[in-house]
Amino acid sequence: MEKNFIIAGFGGQGVLLAGEVLANAFMLAGKNVTWYPSYGAEMRGGTVNCEVVMSDEDVSEVNKSDADFIIALNQASFDRFLSKIKKGGLMIANSTLVKEIKTRTDINYLFAPITKLAEELGNVKMANILALGILAKAGKIVSLDALNQALDNVIPPHRKNLLPLNLKALKIGYEYDLLPAKI
Amino acid sequence: MVECLTNKKVLTKGNYAIANAAVIAGCQCYFGYPITPQSEIGEFMSGKMQELKRGYVSAESELAAINMTIGAVSTGVKAMTSSSSCAVALMQEGLSYATTDELPVVLVSVMRGGPGLGNIYPSQGDYFQATKGGGNGDYKLIVLAPSTVQECVDLTYKAFYLAQKYRNPTVLLADGLLGQMMEPVEFYDYPYPEIDNSGWALTGAKGRDGRIIRSYGPLADDRCVFLEKLYEKYRKIEENETEWEEINTGDADIILTSFGSTSRNVKTAMKISREKGIKAGFFRPVTLYPFPNKRLKELSKTVKKIVTVEVNMGQMVNDVKLAVNGACPVELIHKGVGAPPSAKEIVKKVEELI
Repeated sequence: MEKNFIIAGFGGQGVLLAGEVLANAFMLAGKNVTWYPSYGAEMRGGTVNCEVVMSDEDVSEVNKSDADFIIALNQASFDRFLSKIKKGGLMIANSTLVKEIKTRTDINYLFAPITKLAEELGNVKMANILALGILAKAGKIVSLDALNQALDNVIPPHRKNLLPLNLKALKIGYEYDLLPAKI
Repeated sequence: MVECLTNKKVLTKGNYAIANAAVIAGCQCYFGYPITPQSEIGEFMSGKMQELKRGYVSAESELAAINMTIGAVSTGVKAMTSSSSCAVALMQEGLSYATTDELPVVLVSVMRGGPGLGNIYPSQGDYFQATKGGGNGDYKLIVLAPSTVQECVDLTYKAFYLAQKYRNPTVLLADGLLGQMMEPVEFYDYPYPEIDNSGWALTGAKGRDGRIIRSYGPLADDRCVFLEKLYEKYRKIEENETEWEEINTGDADIILTSFGSTSRNVKTAMKISREKGIKAGFFRPVTLYPFPNKRLKELSKTVKKIVTVEVNMGQMVNDVKLAVNGACPVELIHKGVGAPPSAKEIVKKVEELI
């Protein structure tokens, strides 16, 4: 089995880091994985994305033409990558910044106010990790445990004070579907 | 940043993998000037080398970096520099000198788009630069081409070993895709024996006669002798160090050949072609010099066609043609610059070619 993921958003929203955490989680689960960033003329405020390919065998290729899962943290990313989702794939979109319009009928959508939830948690920068929690639950392809461990792997020693808040963000994302009323 | 932990899987970028492997291989000095897409190598070294009390110099130019590396290795220590395409171009004089000085320089070349300043996207446009060289005179560089981040580690170790073993500059030829991608890798202890260089290294002449390492050879006859000796060494390298990977070549009608990161997609294309009933095989030179001429020549007698896939305008294809020497047709699938053609695109072209 091979699945690939695109995480996209504004530069500064932490999409590359989210991809790194996701890739680490797959590694910890014993899968083969490749993480590949859009790099180069990207800048804070511009759009940035990364691709994560997870496979039980050798990763077949990167820079694929389509994806099984896409997380779009802003409108530009939603617009750009909507056409790249495979039939039956899942688009997770940040409804705080993305309009809830479903132009394609052959894919699944999950709109969640990711930025707003992160703000309520007390740090808007947690939006990226919160989105991973949502992906873990909805995608059923990576466990919360693996993501928790991956966060510990990725956060460097001098930033370990941020680990509890990140773990909390993951949990909020994971339990988003249990919220009584959608915010 | 990666720690020097051995025997533990870590997710890391190709550039960091190369740098960390160089440190484990015993690289005592690093000299470099930043350039995308390999700047992480210098970044890693700037911290790690100081921490380990080894040498790190942020050189004022690539010309300086290669000559500093030459100076360092002449004293018998392991040293390396790293750069990319248009800046490796600036190092060509030094590389040519290092071959006649017979010095174990290690150069990591992480290819980007060219020619000229080009762009920062992945490319394989420096196959010629690495294997044929832009320096003057008759010389060869040993060239190793990794295709995964794990191979960035394995072949960095090997680059240091081969450079030392043959006293010849050795190039690790990666590209922007490998440099920037992250994959799980395992670091392990340097697996090769240490080479005794006490017979030639410049370590101070106390208690012995002085030594000279020089590129200059003023007498024509002497130079002929020297060059013959140099090429004897190259023949030894060709005999002993040629390395490649091949899959499903035994019954293949068509062999897809490729090097470096592009070969990943080509391997997938071979598998898809097989599923479609095309008897496709896969052949990947790991050493670009020495090139696996003999094996390709053998294979050319049993296959109908060899197809080379590259992200450049067609460079390795020339070496494939030379190896095959007309025994079977050799075709090229290529893309000028950027990420490699997808496996699907390659399969589509293979179907047209068969």
